[in-house]
Amino acid sequence: MTKNRVNLAVGIFLMLVFVLLLFSFQVRQTELAIVTTFEKVTRTVNQPGFNFKWPWPVQKVYYLDRRVQNLETKLEETLTKDSRNLLISVYAGWAISDPARFFPNFPGASLAEAGRRLDEMIRSKKNETVGLHEFRRFISTDEKELKFGEIELEILNKVRPEALANYGIEVKFIRIKRLGLPESITQKVFDRMQKERQRLVQKFQGEGESRATEIKTAADRDRDKLLAEADAEATRIRGQGDLEAARAYEVFQQKPDLAILLLKLQALEETLKERTTLVLDQQTPPFDLLRDTNAPGIRR
Amino acid sequence: MSEQPQQPRKGPPGATRLRLTPAAPVEDAGSQALSEALRSSFFLVKIAMVLLALYFCCSNFKFVSEQERAVVLRFGRPVGEGEAALAGPGLLMAFPYPIDEVVSLPAAQILSAASSVGWYMEDPRTTAAGAAVPPRPTLNPVQDGYTLTGDGNIIHVKATLRYRVIEPIKFYFNFTNSAELVTNALNNALYHASARFTVDDALRRNLAGLQEKVAARTEELLREQDLGAQVQQVDLVTAPPRQVKEAFDQVTAAENQRSELINEAEGYANNILSRAKGEAEARRNRGLADRTRLVTEVEAEARYFKELLPSYNQGPELFARRLQAETLGRVMTNAQEKFFLPARADGQPREVRLQLSREAQKPKAALETPKPAGHSH
Repeated sequence: MTKNRVNLAVGIFLMLVFVLLLFSFQVRQTELAIVTTFEKVTRTVNQPGFNFKWPWPVQKVYYLDRRVQNLETKLEETLTKDSRNLLISVYAGWAISDPARFFPNFPGASLAEAGRRLDEMIRSKKNETVGLHEFRRFISTDEKELKFGEIELEILNKVRPEALANYGIEVKFIRIKRLGLPESITQKVFDRMQKERQRLVQKFQGEGESRATEIKTAADRDRDKLLAEADAEATRIRGQGDLEAARAYEVFQQKPDLAILLLKLQALEETLKERTTLVLDQQTPPFDLLRDTNAPGIRR
Repeated sequence: MSEQPQQPRKGPPGATRLRLTPAAPVEDAGSQALSEALRSSFFLVKIAMVLLALYFCCSNFKFVSEQERAVVLRFGRPVGEGEAALAGPGLLMAFPYPIDEVVSLPAAQILSAASSVGWYMEDPRTTAAGAAVPPRPTLNPVQDGYTLTGDGNIIHVKATLRYRVIEPIKFYFNFTNSAELVTNALNNALYHASARFTVDDALRRNLAGLQEKVAARTEELLREQDLGAQVQQVDLVTAPPRQVKEAFDQVTAAENQRSELINEAEGYANNILSRAKGEAEARRNRGLADRTRLVTEVEAEARYFKELLPSYNQGPELFARRLQAETLGRVMTNAQEKFFLPARADGQPREVRLQLSREAQKPKAALETPKPAGHSH
């Protein structure tokens, strides 16, 4: 009879599993659940995991997507506060945060329908917000003027409470996806850019020439200065030399006759140094020795 | 799915019931054979049941390949946090269905996103000449993307982003399309960053700065949106609109020309200055040399004079003669040609005719002739 008992145990175990399945449900990481009792929402489950319920037909479980849904608005023209046309599109992330409020609003818990309604709401809030700011709040080289991120937050802050109250949707973020200008305006921007470029070309050309001239003249000036300084220095050095020489010349004062003689002789030797042809007569000592009579002064 | 556990339950009770029937006394061989056949077929059914049960128990055993990773959801909730939640590659043993669920994800945790909202539509057509079709004078916002710079200009920007999934549970389970959100974050960053740059900075002067801003903004958005991803690298390409590209090229050319002119001028300046320095040094040195020469010469003369002075003082006339003779002697020795003209007997000055036809000696010879003539008078 042991065989029967094993069979019975298996049977009871399987029965228990079956009953447990009837009395429980799981919520996956990506889901939210609503439990209805006789078709009336009585409980919402926001956390993934294992849960108990009464079996059908007493309680029914509906699953909703818990994940963040993407939404992008069309690129559309919006007037800024200073009446300039701006093309703007934003993207947003939203998720069902209050299933009990979301569920009755959308038949079959349609995410697409919810997305459409949210899109309308975001667009109207976006246009409203953009209309409150000047064009320069969107693009500016001045960090203080630029309010890019602030405008995004402003739209979010307008949409968020309304979406939550009306649809049980939590809008997680709204950010600008694209910015643009109307097509006809791009032509004007190009014209302006063209002019600006031409101005830059002229500026660079002028700058190049003037800088080059500046550098060259500065170099010339520096050269002249260097040379003048060097000349001055050389003259000063030579002056020193003259001074020292003059000091040495003082010695000659002791016997000017000798000094003059020495200078003369030196000059003579200097001038007759190289490849000289000398023509001498008998007057010049020591050739006076070669005169007719050896005795000097005989003919005089 | 609730039928699955029911299946094995149906078998055993039926088998018990049927096994009782052969207990009745049946004599005829026909019914005995039938009961034999039934018994063996029930045995086969039993084996099938056990196998089925085994298969069911192992139904969530999975071989995770190198290219994928698996996440185990226990009662719907992922097991493990962050990157630890990823199992594999290798054998993964999880409980069968109602308890565990195995979800496989791609193994690559470094992904890339590309943004082209700031780029114009590339026209694949070309003209007959092979050149690209000239762009229309305006930008149609539906086709052509662009961003606006802080100074109100239009530029084209495209970017590629490499990012790393650091929290796969968040990235894969909390968003319907997280990759698109990353791309949109990058799109936003492009507009956010170019809105504060001037056109010249964005295009040439500070592309790295723009890139840095884009990366920082993307990172900020990924964190704010809790995507569980981290920016690794952003690559940017910027370009002026094709409609005004020529004007931009002209500016670049003008700028190059400017630097060329300046470089040339600087080259000239360097050359001039180094030469001037050399020349200045040379002039200074010449001065020094002159001084040294003068001083040494004069000193030598002075020394010579001092040496001679005592001898001269002893007999000036004689000493002078001697010096004179010595000097003349030296001069004579050095002279190449010497002519001696004795005085004429009648005492008249002698007339000398010189033919001066020699090349370099001309001035010297001319200089020397008057001297003896002068002496002769």
